[in-house]
Amino acid sequence: MNLLVALQIGIREIASHKFRSFLSMLGIVLGVSSLISTLALTTGIERGTRAFMQQVGGLEYVNVVNKEISNAKFEFWNLSPGRTLRDAVAIKASAPLVSHVSAELAFGAVVSAAGHSDRKQVRGVFPDHFVVARHEIQAGRFLTDLDVERGLRSAVIGNEIANLLWPDLQAEKIVGRQIRINDRPFEVVGVLPKYERDEDKRRREAGKAPASGRRAGRWDAFRGKNESILIPYSTMFFDFRAGAFPTDSMDSVRLDSLTLRIRDLEEFRPALEQVRAALDLTHRGVDDFDLETREEWFDRMESSIRATRLSGGLIATISLVVGGIGIMNIMLASISERVREIGIRLAVGARGQDIFVQIIVESVSIAFIGGLIGVLAAVGLIEILKLLAPNENAPIMTLEGIFFSVGFAILAGFLSGIYPALRAARLNPISALRYE
Amino acid sequence: MSLVHLEGVSKIYQVGDQEIRALDTVDLRIEEGEFVSIIGPSGSGKSTLMHLLGCLDAPTSGQMEICGHDLSKASQNRLAEVRNREIGFVFQAFNLLAKLDVVHNIELPLVYAGLSSAERRIRAEKVAREVGLGDRLANRPVQLSGGQCQRVAIARALVNNPRLVFADEPTGNLDSATGEMILQMFRDLNAAGKTIVLVTHDPDIAAVSRRVIEIRDGKIRREYAP
Repeated sequence: MNLLVALQIGIREIASHKFRSFLSMLGIVLGVSSLISTLALTTGIERGTRAFMQQVGGLEYVNVVNKEISNAKFEFWNLSPGRTLRDAVAIKASAPLVSHVSAELAFGAVVSAAGHSDRKQVRGVFPDHFVVARHEIQAGRFLTDLDVERGLRSAVIGNEIANLLWPDLQAEKIVGRQIRINDRPFEVVGVLPKYERDEDKRRREAGKAPASGRRAGRWDAFRGKNESILIPYSTMFFDFRAGAFPTDSMDSVRLDSLTLRIRDLEEFRPALEQVRAALDLTHRGVDDFDLETREEWFDRMESSIRATRLSGGLIATISLVVGGIGIMNIMLASISERVREIGIRLAVGARGQDIFVQIIVESVSIAFIGGLIGVLAAVGLIEILKLLAPNENAPIMTLEGIFFSVGFAILAGFLSGIYPALRAARLNPISALRYE
Repeated sequence: MSLVHLEGVSKIYQVGDQEIRALDTVDLRIEEGEFVSIIGPSGSGKSTLMHLLGCLDAPTSGQMEICGHDLSKASQNRLAEVRNREIGFVFQAFNLLAKLDVVHNIELPLVYAGLSSAERRIRAEKVAREVGLGDRLANRPVQLSGGQCQRVAIARALVNNPRLVFADEPTGNLDSATGEMILQMFRDLNAAGKTIVLVTHDPDIAAVSRRVIEIRDGKIRREYAP
């Protein structure tokens, strides 16, 4: 007997007991839909987190931070000049595994243009900053070495600032206009794009209000980037920072931020060693700095994703097992109801294995149909989830998730069919025929 | 060569610690083209004999050869194979599948013979016409009379073109006129060359055959031609 015939018989059997078959499918339906939803949820979180990790600079991003000097070296504290531009130069010169170094000075200033004005943080940066902070450009250009060398009054502004100052103008029209920073005129040479989460982008493209952002009272990881006002490092120093301490020079002024980018993740550790060696020299052996990497932070994110996936998967697996038991129950009932039919089939020449295959096909069919209904239910469930809890990371249903879940349901159907099928296949034709 | 050849065949059932000798060293030969009746009261062992001859069961001891296959120690699968190719059954209670229409009931043995659905249908329809059910192909058994049901069963028994046809009290559930008609069908089949074994408790029914084997207490008590 071929599988097609077994399938026909199985489908007819399922169709002739619609309600009972549906009840036995219910466990599988719930199992598959919860498995798909869990996978979709974690996929959504995972994608969102990955995108976020990329946007904030990825694993290659390293932050050089100030640190309390250890007690052993405390008395040498004044030997170290702290984080200065010399650090950046030293890293560039002697840490070839580092690709970009960004030294920054920050300054709170009144920024005004076109009748609007607000107090904002302005940062003096080098061209490397645009690489280290993963900036893109929407209109105009980034700052260049020339801007820094000449100390030009050029500014690159974030999308949020552009909107604040010129709410009606497009980015292209803003390039070339003037802004005043503490009353000094600067030319806007570039406008940065709006950085946002994939979810917000999709919503915006669909014409809906953003699901997150300040309106929803949530922390916006991209707020800092969107509110950037970037001017050349030299301009910053001479216009706003020089003269605070008479001995300060561009090289010796303490930096507000020193960040860098590792060239190749394969050589992450050696690169950190190179940076440390360079900084040990410039800081004269005083351990007043530390290298902050994202490894641990990212690892924590990854492991929490894994934990979510595992626990959700476990719950879904349990409901699939329960679904399988439901199918087994129904198959056993169905067999004891059909002993005579099986007897007749045996009498006309069916072998035990034909009966076995037939019962297995039937139980797999129930699981498969239940799985398909489960996929549909999952689509609905995910929509409801989105409505109830508009997460920053929308669930994403993947084809792999669907195949995996339905495949798992089929496996559950197969396994739970084995015992009933064995019982049916072992029936003796004579007693089965006599069965009333 | 004989279609059925039993030599010293016994069938012993173990019920609890009690041994029940349903068949006791039976010797029997049935030749191709015969019309044989097996009679005996209930409990005589005639059903057991039919089950052995019909390849539903293997003997406990002795030599059994059916249609040239040595089945003395056959496995269930081997029995099923021979049953499928060489044997047709007609039962007292018809034993049709209520869920299937006439043509699907008839083609059931062909499903397990591995024929394609087109071929099954052609053969089933041909046999259905031969038993006079050409116009009831799409009916379910519940829509048929007892006589029609038994004709479906006969068609099913014939569809795989078996060399041996067994009928177990085929008229037991029918009124006498219909029963007579069914018996006539067996006679016609035999006249056309089929070997038929009729199992009954009623000597009058057995009288339609040309050789009667009487079973008592698991042994062949006598043989006669009515």
